Amino acid sequence: MIYRVRHLTRYEYDLPVSLCFNKAHLLPRDTPRQQCLSTQIRVTPTPVYSVRREDFYGNLYYYFSIQEPHKALQIDVTSQIRMLPPPQNFDLDLGNSCARVKELILHAADEETLLAKEFLLDSPMIRTSDALRDYAAPSFADDRPLLSAVRELTSRIFRDFKYDPGFSTVATPLNEVLEHKRGVCQDFAHLAIGCLRALGFPARYVSGYLETLPPPGKEKLVGSDESHAWFSVYSPGEGWFEFDPTNDNIPAEQHIVTALGRDYSDVTPLRGVFFDGGASQTLTVSVDVAAMPET
Amino acid sequence: MQPPLSYERPDSVYDEVYGADGDIRQHWRYLLDGLGSMGTANLQERQRKAQRILRDDGATYNISGDPQGSRIWGLDPVPLLIDSEEWERIESGVIERAELFNLILKDLYGPRELIRHQILPAELIYSHNGFLRACQGLHVPGDQQLILHAVDMVRSDSGEMVVIGDRTQAPSGTGYALENRTVMSRVLPSLFRDSQVHRLSLFFQALRRKLTTLSPNGDTPNIVILTPGAYNETYFEHTYLANYLGYSVVQGGDLTVRNGYVWMKSLDGLHRVDVILRRVDDTWCDPVELRSDSHLGVPGLLEVARAGNVVIANPLGSGVLENPALHKYMPKIAEFFFGHELTLASATTWWLGDEQDRDHVLANLDGLIIKPTTRRTGQHSIYCPDLPPEKLDKLRAQLRDNPLHYIAQEPNLPGTSPSWHRDKLLARPTVLRSFAVADQSSYAVMPGGLTRVASDDSQRIVSNQLGATSKDTWVLASEPQRRVSLLDERAPELLAREQTSDLPSRVVENLFWMGRYSERAESAMRLLRTVFIQLNSIGPLPEAVRELLLKAVTQVTVTYPGFTGDNGQLLAQPDAELMSVILDHRRAGSVSANLQAMLNCTEETKEMLSADTHRVINDLRDELANLPNMLGNGLNAAPEEALDPLVTSLLALSGLTQESMIRGFGWRFLEMGRRLERTLQSTALLRALLVPVLEETAQEQVLETVMLSSEVLITYRRRYRSRPELTHGLTLIMLDRTNPRSLLYQVDLLRQHIDQLNATSSSQLLSEEYRCILEALTLLQLSRPNELARAQEDTHVRQALDDCLARIQSLLCNTASLIGDRYFDHRREPQQLVQTGWNEEL
Repeated sequence: MIYRVRHLTRYEYDLPVSLCFNKAHLLPRDTPRQQCLSTQIRVTPTPVYSVRREDFYGNLYYYFSIQEPHKALQIDVTSQIRMLPPPQNFDLDLGNSCARVKELILHAADEETLLAKEFLLDSPMIRTSDALRDYAAPSFADDRPLLSAVRELTSRIFRDFKYDPGFSTVATPLNEVLEHKRGVCQDFAHLAIGCLRALGFPARYVSGYLETLPPPGKEKLVGSDESHAWFSVYSPGEGWFEFDPTNDNIPAEQHIVTALGRDYSDVTPLRGVFFDGGASQTLTVSVDVAAMPET
Repeated sequence: MQPPLSYERPDSVYDEVYGADGDIRQHWRYLLDGLGSMGTANLQERQRKAQRILRDDGATYNISGDPQGSRIWGLDPVPLLIDSEEWERIESGVIERAELFNLILKDLYGPRELIRHQILPAELIYSHNGFLRACQGLHVPGDQQLILHAVDMVRSDSGEMVVIGDRTQAPSGTGYALENRTVMSRVLPSLFRDSQVHRLSLFFQALRRKLTTLSPNGDTPNIVILTPGAYNETYFEHTYLANYLGYSVVQGGDLTVRNGYVWMKSLDGLHRVDVILRRVDDTWCDPVELRSDSHLGVPGLLEVARAGNVVIANPLGSGVLENPALHKYMPKIAEFFFGHELTLASATTWWLGDEQDRDHVLANLDGLIIKPTTRRTGQHSIYCPDLPPEKLDKLRAQLRDNPLHYIAQEPNLPGTSPSWHRDKLLARPTVLRSFAVADQSSYAVMPGGLTRVASDDSQRIVSNQLGATSKDTWVLASEPQRRVSLLDERAPELLAREQTSDLPSRVVENLFWMGRYSERAESAMRLLRTVFIQLNSIGPLPEAVRELLLKAVTQVTVTYPGFTGDNGQLLAQPDAELMSVILDHRRAGSVSANLQAMLNCTEETKEMLSADTHRVINDLRDELANLPNMLGNGLNAAPEEALDPLVTSLLALSGLTQESMIRGFGWRFLEMGRRLERTLQSTALLRALLVPVLEETAQEQVLETVMLSSEVLITYRRRYRSRPELTHGLTLIMLDRTNPRSLLYQVDLLRQHIDQLNATSSSQLLSEEYRCILEALTLLQLSRPNELARAQEDTHVRQALDDCLARIQSLLCNTASLIGDRYFDHRREPQQLVQTGWNEEL
């Protein structure tokens, strides 16, 4: 299946911005289950400096700066991504047990596991805590296969937490999310990652898109899709496995990955600084994910 | 013949002078003999002289967290001596270490073989705040990524040099070492000369050479030193090095990124910057990709470095090498890269992130020193043997919770060297900081370094923040040293620099304000002095005059409501208000506030001021601090005398700028500030005192006051040989071309300066600020003294005089703001696109 993703970001300012520098994590990367065929970026006004680069985690980003005064900034990114079929014989009940995973990580000698240890550590937006560990622990019996335990954690978050876009912002701390049991996809991904790290399992943040289907008989609305976030967990010798706590499922062909990192702060879709522009600004984002016939 | 200086040798630790047998080591004999024959009083005098030179040079060290905490750099008159054989070992050890750190840096931001091959635990690197993921793949031209490396060393009990710390991002100390050397060669000239001490200048030549070759944009690079600003603890060194090396000192706000390059904002536009020697810690350097809350950095800087259009030394990200937990792994790392161990050992170090180490540390905590893996202001090492049990328990819990971020070391006392205390030598724990700079395919080490000694003999942590003092470090050559200075090499470039306007506009703006504030302070003091004299004069002062004078104090200093307010009590009892106008530094317009503001401007322009100027500024600072004492008895006895030294110093300062300052942009703006402010002050004074019409005697008395305060009374008497008469007085004060304090003289000078500034412009039209000043000048030229002096009978004011002065005031204020708009950068703080509530530092 090939998807076309169009991600439109628009900032409007009170007063003209005289100069800005931005770093956009909006270009889908390749992963074992997807291949980014092409990406077109259109920024208005035209940047005086722009470059595509690969970051520390192998994600692609677009860096640009604008020097002409502007009251609106628009970044229009369109990508074509081929989604590969999911691997055969994927069974959550097979594979390393929780105890075995911890053991393997402790005595890691292979490069992949050594490097995965980075995702055990606290990161700017995710601090492990006893509360997170206590919340997750019941699902992680020592002899239980790790992936089955993580699948259960994913379901529990889905059941226990209410999806509430009004509750959190990009900077809501994890303990508040846990306390009030509310949040959005980013919070649930962070929460699951915090739980896993607290228990000693490497986990990372995945940003991307999800194709949403309109209710039966209804036309799909333009721009109604959203950028999305979920997580993946590492099992030595077996690799990384993705889970989506917001939708209680295992990401497959509808989950298109943009970037991977320790948490949201590593892969913020658009960050940067600007000069002038007045006291406030409005942001509009619209995302369309469209399945395209293979030609 | 005096015996050599001696002191009590400590029993338990290694001492630089005394061997185990109690004998003086050979290489110390000459110095101790020399110091001995000098005698105590003489040596004390030399030490005082050293402190005086340091003060005159503005050599300070700011204690963090204390705005007043700037203290004179402390220098012990007894240097640390190292003989040539020993130095060879140290030098090769430091080179080896710098080379190894260079390889570690390349690896950590490159392939990370050290992690892949399990030489370093992944957590050690990934959990450290200095590991900046945004710096992955950053590359500096040339063989080395690490340009400067500083190594702190102490003597172990057996006399081995042991490394206790590394500085790898913005190592401080080279400038202080140079200043120490300069001072020592002046206060102990013959001992220094005859000791055959290795010169430091070769090191700085290597530094200059390296920075020049780093330039990505051609042969004559524009190199700047990036400082966090005047409140940084080592700001003195930034300006000192800049002057020695011939570079500009810039703050983050002086630079801007445009078109993919870094530029310095100067008066005549943007100048490209090719190489940045940074003294700002790396996480603060770019709010776009690093700490978003930083105002010290340059937005966009990291990407310019990544693109290779500017080179930053040391490169961003090199702070990861300052993690003291690396000490533990040095033997393994050296084995991995070199295949052999390092000759210079590291202090035994346990990292709490290692399970075995953690068990050891927690079990033996009361005998260890705990250090955080990241250096932060205000966070010091914890000396556990001093801690009571409950604090130890608390610390244990803290370490268990956060093991990755702490290390432990044994609290060994460093070896000692002799330090001069009042009238004798005492053995003091000693740390040597050695500096290496990348040079061709290896490193060049400064033959010497910065030695610091603890302030008492039990201090295990020697830190300037904790009151340590410094020593010059003499590496003794077996043969006499040839003198090499940077001067020859840089002469052509220096000449070029003076002609251009290669100054950040911030510096120029501060010079402009320095001129303005010093004039404000001076004219306020002149008026106050005169008012004091008149108030205390023998003859009775008519009430109308007294009131007018006091009100003028408020009007000229702009400290409303003051004497112009409703409080009639104030006029009857003026002392408290007058004291406040002098001493209250929190009150805008007061003498103290203006002087303080002027001193703040001199901090920002340090590198532009000569040694003589620094001396005068130091005097001013002392006199200002002493002013409350001088006025301790209130205004009873000749209070005007308390202000005299300050007025004299201000005059000395203005004389110095006239006599010794290069006629560049800096000088011109300082002068413009002065002229502008003096004109404004004079017009305010004239409006306050001469516009109101008084009866004859009173009028004379007021006119006399004005002339006294404007320093023309004597001229007047000589020229007119008559009682004060208004038409003549106004001519002299306002319109006399030969009186350097007249309005006409000041305004004409200002017009000339503006004309010179505009001379480079291609426009045929007059600039707005020139139009303003020309109008003011013409107004003065066309005015007639007798018309100005004429009184309006019904209103008791001189309307023509007031109109003229008011117009001049308004034209001058316009000129000032037009100059500000045209030449100064109105720095705005950038905003973040996404409000990052998260903490980027773990």
